[in-house]
Amino acid sequence: MNDFYVPATPTSPEIDFRFSSNTLGIRGESYPENAAAFYSDALRQLRTYLATLDATHVEINVELKYFNSSSTKILYTLFGMLNDCVNKGNDVTLNWFHDEEDETILEFGEELYEDFGQLNFRPTAVSAA
Amino acid sequence: MELERFSAFHDAAHREGILFFYSGYFSQNIVAAMADAVRYRLKFQPAQEGTLRKVFSTFVEMSQNIVHYSAEPITDEAADNNELRFGAVSLGQQGGSYFVACGNPVPRDAVPALKEKIDRVRDMSAEDIKKAYREKLRSENDPASKGAGLGFLTLARDATRPINYAFEKLPNDANVFFYLKAVI
Repeated sequence: MNDFYVPATPTSPEIDFRFSSNTLGIRGESYPENAAAFYSDALRQLRTYLATLDATHVEINVELKYFNSSSTKILYTLFGMLNDCVNKGNDVTLNWFHDEEDETILEFGEELYEDFGQLNFRPTAVSAA
Repeated sequence: MELERFSAFHDAAHREGILFFYSGYFSQNIVAAMADAVRYRLKFQPAQEGTLRKVFSTFVEMSQNIVHYSAEPITDEAADNNELRFGAVSLGQQGGSYFVACGNPVPRDAVPALKEKIDRVRDMSAEDIKKAYREKLRSENDPASKGAGLGFLTLARDATRPINYAFEKLPNDANVFFYLKAVI
């Protein structure tokens, strides 16, 4: 299927889903006015892509500077989808980039790790720019 | 306004530790511009980066609440995008901590449910807040919420003491003015 790309805006992240190389990326800020509406296309595409996978290694890089409460909920749904796809015989590495001083983002990452134990969760601290 | 009075207003805001204040219409674009201004303002504050991030998060959550829920919309009441609604937000420092306060009109008949929702969070310990937050994260969405139903819990999680609120009468009988304050 075709790759999916949405450029970043000041309040929404770049979404770079390279399905052709099984590499997914979400980078930037995430506080759009309506997170459910903003992410709906990306989630739909992702669901279709995940359903086609068979014994595949998927890499997802998430590097968000800030995300609001409604984006948090969507991200949780997204990682749940990835976790389910591991249960179907694939493997997924989640590279979770967080600012070294941002405990909220690190904590959320750890919650994901607890709830979605099938993901190969790799938190990486980056220093503030 | 006479310039002298403007100067007195400006000085008073400074004395009160106000770092940012806005009263007017709120849209997503306005929130984005304010967030930009607030980030610069916080960049030069003598506090831990982690604290400043919580202040920023609280500011964005409160401002977006106004976009979504203020009872004084210019846009269609049923809209869930490109909304424009009336409110006020303020951010400042006081006695070694930061505060973010906001206010907007809400329908009078929404008050009991709103009170109950905030009181429930106010009564929680930090541990309870974390637990409730995680439960909410795992649950299905609340159809009455335009966000994730995580808003008040996010504010409470980032605050260092219980979030405060007040309701004030408005000349218009259908609405009351709802104030909310978080200390970080």
